[in-house]
Amino acid sequence: MEADGKQGQEGSPELSLRPLDLSDIDDFMVWATDDKVSRFCTWDTYTSKEAGIDYIKNIVIPHPWFKAICLDNKAIGAISVSANNGNDRCRGELGYALASKYWGKGIVTRAVKMVASTIFNEWPHLERLEALVDVENGGSQRVLEKVGFHREGVLRKFCILKGRCRDMVIYSLLSTDPQP
Amino acid sequence: MDSGRVTLRPFRVSDVDDFILWAGDDQVTRNIRMKTVTSKEEALTFIKDVCIPHPWRRSICIDDRSIGFVSVYRWSGNDICKADIAYAIAAKYWGQGITTKAVKMAVSEAFKDFPDLVRLQAFAAVENKASQRVLEKAGFTKEGLLRKYTFLKGQLKDLVIYSLLSTDISVAVDDKLL
Repeated sequence: MEADGKQGQEGSPELSLRPLDLSDIDDFMVWATDDKVSRFCTWDTYTSKEAGIDYIKNIVIPHPWFKAICLDNKAIGAISVSANNGNDRCRGELGYALASKYWGKGIVTRAVKMVASTIFNEWPHLERLEALVDVENGGSQRVLEKVGFHREGVLRKFCILKGRCRDMVIYSLLSTDPQP
Repeated sequence: MDSGRVTLRPFRVSDVDDFILWAGDDQVTRNIRMKTVTSKEEALTFIKDVCIPHPWRRSICIDDRSIGFVSVYRWSGNDICKADIAYAIAAKYWGQGITTKAVKMAVSEAFKDFPDLVRLQAFAAVENKASQRVLEKAGFTKEGLLRKYTFLKGQLKDLVIYSLLSTDISVAVDDKLL
């Protein structure tokens, strides 16, 4: 399977992005069943392997751009870019999740940089990569700022997350912005 | 202009001749999604197929004659807390506070018609200063500039996003003051 990889220091695990498939189900369940991970995500914590299998089959595999974040080829999280149609085809929304034991090591920052450096070539019609982050999710805001996304503003009571209407910070990276 | 003359009401097929005066003007339709109408048949079709069946679209009227429109588009699912407001009026009525008055009326009606609505949002092209002033005068908060956000009439646009929350509007304000 083709992997986009970045080698760390001698002896440190290799970070790569590759498609997520059904053989990753047990690794997927590690982060999908963790409330800390799902806290700011639109999805609810998974409680059954069957639901995880359905998600991989029905959402992940047909998705226009969905990759596993891997350490030495083992899936420890996921990163995706959604596509829009018609007049909105110029923008795609970035999303990501990482197993909590790997937080705080710069892994998501590296994964986002890898996406930012390839997505505009893979999707020449894409002008704008955007991300919406809950105002309370400081960790995720720092990731985007380190990669060089522009913080455009706070959208008040923008969408419902876990049953509550949330303020979301909106970030963007344009194909014309300096490459991260 | 006596602001009592500005009213909102549903569109009627009989608005067609007045409708063409503003919907047939490129200046008016420049920053909205609808295409400039080029014939009475197109105008009639648009009124019948779009304006009248729309869940919330009103003619902005002076002395009950249509001079523009205001519409509220409600989202669904996880976005059900919000709705988009859009508007345009005939160029001859620009710069007189009429659009601001109409938007204030629409805001008040929409929050009444949708009691669970939390957020009304509006987008104005970055170069459309007049529309930005309307929103600011109507009490909307400018939240930011969304770069290269969407295509409008084939052009990639930077849009300023504004919002008005149900909690921004004091329930104590007498509707007549709007």
